[in-house]
Amino acid sequence: MGFEEARVSDALLEEFSQEQLQQVDAIIEKYKGKAGSLIPVLEEIQGVLGYLPNEIQQRVAHGLNLPQSQVFGVVTFYSFFTMVPRGRHTIRLCLGTACYVRGGKRNLDRLTQELGIEAGDTTPDRKFSLETIRCLGACGLAPVIVVDEDTYKQVKERKLREMLERYE
Amino acid sequence: MKIFRSHILVCGGTGCHSSGSAEVIKAFAFEVEKRELKDEVQIVETGCNGFCALGPIVVVYPEGIIYMQVAPEDAAEIIEEHILKGRPVERLLYREPVTEEVIPYMNDIPFFGLQELRVLHNRGLIDAERIDEYIARDGYQGAAKALLEMTPEGIIEEVKKSGLRGRGGGGFPTGMKWQFASQSMGEVKYVLCNADEGDPGAFMDRSVLEADPHAVLEGMLIAAKAIGAHQGYIYCRAEYPLAVHRLNIAINQAREYGLLGDDIFGSGFSFDLEVYQGAGAFVCGEETALMASIEGRRGMPRPRPPFPAHQGLWRRPTVLNNVESYANIPQIIVQGGDWYASIGTETSKGTKVFALTGDVNNIGLVEVPMGTTIGTIIFDIGGGIPKGKRFKAAQLGGPSGGCIPVQHLNTPTDYEAITQIGAIMGSGGLIVMDEDTCMVDVARFFMDFCQDESCGKCVPCRVGTKKMLDILTDICEGRGKEGDIELLEEMAAVIKDSALCGLGQTAPNPVLSTIRYFRDEYEAHIRDKRCPASVCSALFTSPCQNTCPVEMDVPAYIALIRANRLDDAYKVLLKTNPFPSICGRVCDHQCQGKCRRGQLDEPIAIKHLKRYITDNASRPTVESIPVTRRERIAVVGGGPAGLTAARDLARRGYSVTVFEELPHLGGMLRYGIPEYRLPRAVLEREIDDIRALGVQFRTNTRVGKDIPFKDIRKEYAALYLAVGAHQSQRLRIDGEDLKGVYGGVEFLRQINLGNGAEVGKRVAVVGGGNSAIDAARSALRKGAQEVVLLYRRTRQDMPAQSDEVAAAEHEGVTIHFLVAPLEVIGVKGRVVGVRCQRMRLGAFDASGRRRPEPIEGSEFVLDVDMVIAAIGQVPDVSFLPKDIPVTKWNTIEVKGNGNGRTQTPAEGIFAGGDAVTGPATVIWAIAAGKEAADEIDAAIRQRNDEPPFQRPEEERIDIPQVIDEEVQEQPQARMLELEGSERVGSFAEVELGYTEEEALRESLRCLRCDMEL
Amino acid sequence: MAKIKVEDLKKIKEEVQKATSLREGGKRVKATVHMGTCGIASGARKVLNALVSSIEEEGTQDVMVTTSGCIGICSREPLVTVEVAGEEPITYEYMDENKMRQVFKQHILDGKVQRQFALAKGLE
Repeated sequence: MGFEEARVSDALLEEFSQEQLQQVDAIIEKYKGKAGSLIPVLEEIQGVLGYLPNEIQQRVAHGLNLPQSQVFGVVTFYSFFTMVPRGRHTIRLCLGTACYVRGGKRNLDRLTQELGIEAGDTTPDRKFSLETIRCLGACGLAPVIVVDEDTYKQVKERKLREMLERYE
Repeated sequence: MKIFRSHILVCGGTGCHSSGSAEVIKAFAFEVEKRELKDEVQIVETGCNGFCALGPIVVVYPEGIIYMQVAPEDAAEIIEEHILKGRPVERLLYREPVTEEVIPYMNDIPFFGLQELRVLHNRGLIDAERIDEYIARDGYQGAAKALLEMTPEGIIEEVKKSGLRGRGGGGFPTGMKWQFASQSMGEVKYVLCNADEGDPGAFMDRSVLEADPHAVLEGMLIAAKAIGAHQGYIYCRAEYPLAVHRLNIAINQAREYGLLGDDIFGSGFSFDLEVYQGAGAFVCGEETALMASIEGRRGMPRPRPPFPAHQGLWRRPTVLNNVESYANIPQIIVQGGDWYASIGTETSKGTKVFALTGDVNNIGLVEVPMGTTIGTIIFDIGGGIPKGKRFKAAQLGGPSGGCIPVQHLNTPTDYEAITQIGAIMGSGGLIVMDEDTCMVDVARFFMDFCQDESCGKCVPCRVGTKKMLDILTDICEGRGKEGDIELLEEMAAVIKDSALCGLGQTAPNPVLSTIRYFRDEYEAHIRDKRCPASVCSALFTSPCQNTCPVEMDVPAYIALIRANRLDDAYKVLLKTNPFPSICGRVCDHQCQGKCRRGQLDEPIAIKHLKRYITDNASRPTVESIPVTRRERIAVVGGGPAGLTAARDLARRGYSVTVFEELPHLGGMLRYGIPEYRLPRAVLEREIDDIRALGVQFRTNTRVGKDIPFKDIRKEYAALYLAVGAHQSQRLRIDGEDLKGVYGGVEFLRQINLGNGAEVGKRVAVVGGGNSAIDAARSALRKGAQEVVLLYRRTRQDMPAQSDEVAAAEHEGVTIHFLVAPLEVIGVKGRVVGVRCQRMRLGAFDASGRRRPEPIEGSEFVLDVDMVIAAIGQVPDVSFLPKDIPVTKWNTIEVKGNGNGRTQTPAEGIFAGGDAVTGPATVIWAIAAGKEAADEIDAAIRQRNDEPPFQRPEEERIDIPQVIDEEVQEQPQARMLELEGSERVGSFAEVELGYTEEEALRESLRCLRCDMEL
Repeated sequence: MAKIKVEDLKKIKEEVQKATSLREGGKRVKATVHMGTCGIASGARKVLNALVSSIEEEGTQDVMVTTSGCIGICSREPLVTVEVAGEEPITYEYMDENKMRQVFKQHILDGKVQRQFALAKGLE
């Protein structure tokens, strides 16, 4: 038992700090023995770590004394949970017809180049996740990019870097 | 001390500073330095002067002139003009806001005045994070009463008496639900609150939780006492962080006061609750799924029974209600069930909160008495549809609900009445959709949502929603097949019957209700591969072209204007439209209403640009086309429909003869539309092009009189009846036969025949359509001193084009709205006046406009000596033999959909244009003519066993593919108009056409939606 | 705070009414910034901050600032209600920081209602 725990921690230490893992354990401890606590536990842990990789799910299953299949089932059922890390900021680029012809595609090319990732991915430093959407219905403002809650209208290719620099 | 001639005070307050006053100060300093005014002018940075919204503010003394929104670039002009030349810079002057404008009282604004606040009675009045403020508005009085004075049975009785039904969607009586749980055996019971509001476009619960969380806690506390529960949960969706935050604050404050916990109010009753945050699964709004989720499992529903009242959370008796239901409870307990039931309908009591969103002016949260009509909510409270667009439908009940089309605007908000028309009350999300919405796309959107949110437990929902989505996607992308609609209906029925939970059972609702009310839109997608609302982008290239009845290639000819290739542009026009010069003047340009540019600033002036091409391109000579076919074709009626058909048939090698009763060709173009809108030379020129093809014209020839119907029937292989609608509808009031009463079209015809129609001094025109406006403007030009137009509805309901209405008013026509004539008064057989009655707006009619209703005792007499009745036109079909049937509207009957849209029941006889549809527009007449030519030709070839017509190769015109990367906001280029006596005193054309510079500027505004990169 | 009894509800009500009544609370003006999710998304927090810092800059003592939830007409957010003692409350629409500073200076301090930003007067 002790051996297994140590191995899990090793794999996790590459990804997370010792302090983060202590927080995780504290969360599990807080809810231990309380019926129906799996979802709040996962929510809180995701709040600390940003995502829920398999190793963490194992740790939760172990800590709450649940089958790992149940943890995995819950994680994959709810859209709020993610097993891959997301960026701190989500860039959603509209590729509806109007945006597409008015430079949306060029903006996308430039962004993938600038960030070094494809649409649907997250930068290695986890600063940005890049997504494309079909139409925001704001065609008069085309091309449109939404970063988190901020909407940028009539985005020009050369202004993209300036836009990215606003985010920490 | 130095004395300066002028002081320039630049505001440096926070507001002005943030709008850039520092730069402005620098700019002034620079200019002063540059012009060596340092000893004369002092620049001072001042504190805030209060006009922060208009900053940066600059005040120049000694004059004390205030400039607003001054930019650094303006400094030079202010120094140059104001300081040196003593002339204030007009454009930057601060103007006192208009003060006659009175601020209305809250309750005089329909948005607030028509609401009845019960659930929301604390909105905007209390700080949600302070329990004392809730208590100060009589909060927790209901709980005190329930805990200290009432028995559980008494509480349940009161709730039953109130008639409250579940506000989450189901509409199950709340009192009954509580009674079941109360009667269930068990030591441990639960009270749950469903705050997992997931319908797209619904935010009622969020708002209540944020603004008044204690109302929900108090409602749950009362429910707990009623059923004997001591623990509760609020299941709130994770997307509502502020609601969760405020709920937690509220719970902690309630605990501190002992309003949650043990022995509340010293009653001995204990209850506590906690917030449970969802994790993003729509299905968790279903009660059994919600409970599974609280238990820490995947949120999958389970079959019922057992019902939660018997076996709910952790298999214990449980009551689950939604936020709005609970928020109603405290007041029901304090004021009594009878009070609550005093408003509403027979079966739906109290109020309902709606989240009003979509294409509506006032987006927000409204609470109205049950029974308020949907139309009142959308048009009175919601303020109607933005940008003058037409209402199409409202979706009520989100993905589980249905749409409410225009003909059901009078439906009251009542559970049963709403269900009857195919929607559901749901939780109250009311999404308004305007004419630019495609109902198939809406159905696809909701199906996409449901299949995405399907939990996957039962097959009907998991597989069924996916299959239905596939079919809908195919239809939207042009792969729809005959039978798809029926298949959708069949699958919908199966899923409704067999899915495990509410999500699946209701998922087909949006599809069924859109099919029920908009089947023709589905058929257009499937049969014609057309999306009438210009939404499904796979089915068209540009919205303007898609909207045009003859699909003119608008972006192409605009691009050619930009490239200054007007001759090519003209060729593009002629490809689809024989009358471009005419359409460039009088078309109702529906294309402009769909122009994407309109979303940015204003639509492209497509009509004006079309006219520019026809005014300036060189016109190719038209060669006659040899007759290659032996069948001869007769066209009855020389209007736009008949002429278009004749042209298209002649181009296919037929010998065509057009019979026209009047002396000149053109139909309504010649005898309806006045010359100041369409000069006769323009009309003649385009008719001449058709004559040049070899088409024969026989004017002054009325079929059935000058030539027997049976003769042409014998002589010609096919007949096309396009006789238009040239008879005015009668007013059906007394005095209509007096001398001086005319029909609108008859009056216009007299003028255009040049018969010197006699016009009165004071003329009343009755009607609100284009003919009424034409008659009114023509009467003015014929010398009437005063022209009044009487219309029984309001301005926004007028069928006339708004620019025509504006032009009429500009010329001096007075319009009386909400007035209807009752009687034409005559003396010695001549008109001396018209007795009128004022109207008010009543319920909605089938067209979505409010029906005018007479106001008793509001009669008045207008002194006039001429009355023109222009309330509508009907075809004159008296020449038709008996075997060609007419409809009850006196229009010619065609077989319609799928069986030839222009084929009458009589063999070889076709019909179209206004004679079939009733009065429509030029462009629709042209479209009808084209369609008729296709069908006549196809019918003849089919009879002869010939292969279908092959269109000859068209000349290829290369369209420039140029777009601008940056779009600057810029309004439409205005067109110059004739003014003064030249305008009203003659029939000279009013609109003067674009100059080259204006046309080019306008063409640059096109966004080129047609291009694909 | 100890557990309250039913009589306390009335006491709390009276106290709150005393505190929120402008005359008795020694305040001259009450300004309410409406802060639901809709208001915050359209910038109500910035408006609130602008109001608070204007008050600090000016050293004004007799203005009470409070927040409340959405008043329903979300499309006109951010909304701010200004109630000067003895006068009808005025609700301002489409507020931003600069308009808030102007309303503070012109209306709250100088008593001039800024009609051009006003949605309505009185309460619902």
